[in-house]
Amino acid sequence: MWSLLKRYYRPLIVGFLLLSPLVAFLLGGRKGREPNFIDRAIIAVASPVQQGLTSVIEGGVAGVQNYLDLRGVRQENDALRLENLQLRAAVQSLGESRMENERLRKLLKYAEAEPGPEIPARVVGVNPVAKLLSVRISSGEQQGVFRGMSVVTPDGIVGQVIRATGGYADVALVTDPQSRVAVRVQRSRARGTAAGTGVGPLKLENMLRTEDVEDGDLIITAGTDGIYPPGVVVGRVTNLEKKEHGMFQGADIVPAVDTSKLEEVLVVGSPYSAMAPGGTAEGASK
Amino acid sequence: MKFLVSVALALALLTLESVLVKQAGLELGRIDVTVVLVAFLALRASLLEGTFSAFSVGYLLDLMSGQPTWLYTFLAVFIFLVGRLVPTFVEVRGPLAFALFAMGADVGHSLLATFFTWLTVKEDGPGSQLAEMPLQVALTGIAALALYPLLRRFEASQERPAGLLR
Repeated sequence: MWSLLKRYYRPLIVGFLLLSPLVAFLLGGRKGREPNFIDRAIIAVASPVQQGLTSVIEGGVAGVQNYLDLRGVRQENDALRLENLQLRAAVQSLGESRMENERLRKLLKYAEAEPGPEIPARVVGVNPVAKLLSVRISSGEQQGVFRGMSVVTPDGIVGQVIRATGGYADVALVTDPQSRVAVRVQRSRARGTAAGTGVGPLKLENMLRTEDVEDGDLIITAGTDGIYPPGVVVGRVTNLEKKEHGMFQGADIVPAVDTSKLEEVLVVGSPYSAMAPGGTAEGASK
Repeated sequence: MKFLVSVALALALLTLESVLVKQAGLELGRIDVTVVLVAFLALRASLLEGTFSAFSVGYLLDLMSGQPTWLYTFLAVFIFLVGRLVPTFVEVRGPLAFALFAMGADVGHSLLATFFTWLTVKEDGPGSQLAEMPLQVALTGIAALALYPLLRRFEASQERPAGLLR
């Protein structure tokens, strides 16, 4: 036995190194795995380099951009002053609406959800594998970011955290083909699912043919998938297909956030999210 | 030594790529730098050293993907073993031949990755991913041309001069 092993140890080692990852992949690799100490060490080495390179490149680009921007700064200032006046007026009017809303909520004894933490982060790199669209951000477990939390910008939804280590986390984008988000039409409150397609717009799925939806409608998160908080903008409806037969109608959703140009994001934990290490994101990424 | 150099180089290249892809705003176009490394190993490394190196390079790619599935670890070892057979049929010498060899390896790598992803996910047709393949293979070929002198230099630094007692 020993002599046999000694004789064939090379093909045995090669066979093991070839087949063990294949077996691991086929038996459940699709779900990914929790980072072990080797993974954490590698990420701890690579991520600061990513962050440093990103800062250097962005600093250089910003320097050139600042110089170019200085030329038109006076005209822009005048325009911004005007815009500022308009916005202040709008904020004042919104404040009135908000107070009225609060009064009505109190009257209806509406239970308001406790907002979770908002953790800011910078995008430091993009996943080099095209099969999964994800980015790496500069906040991780140390900052309170855990798997399953959702990631947004002021413009709308970005994705969900699929892995968090010490100071970094990886975020699967809503445009990833495996991404599914429970959504609502803001105007009519009709419910459906936004599915990632990999490139281009999202697909609006599971929207009943009888539901009221039109081209240009704003799509927001429904909050029923247990991952994304309700009311976050997803995008706008386009290419609506109202079919003669069948249960559902189809449409594209142009995402509100251009995920290829992300810089800063917010990680939010909705009351529905798993806010602990090892919390899962099964709801939105199946 | 070749193992350590391969792993360090793979980590450096993947890190650099992830930053450059972000800055360039490429949504699906990627450069398979790890395939270039594995192709080089297939031509120059011994069976055991190359298999260990390819395994580690694939593991790194899996890890950098955000959701490691072991798929790229398997594919790296597989491409390495298949790549070792190629020099028995055709001679791969010089940067241009190496770039063509790396592009061929990338085609195989991408097709297998798409197939296995489709096999397990089955929710999305492979069309969109295959549509991006020509750009990806072309970028990988350019990367192979650019990396060839660097890889040769690393290899030369590890060769022992003949005739010296050690």
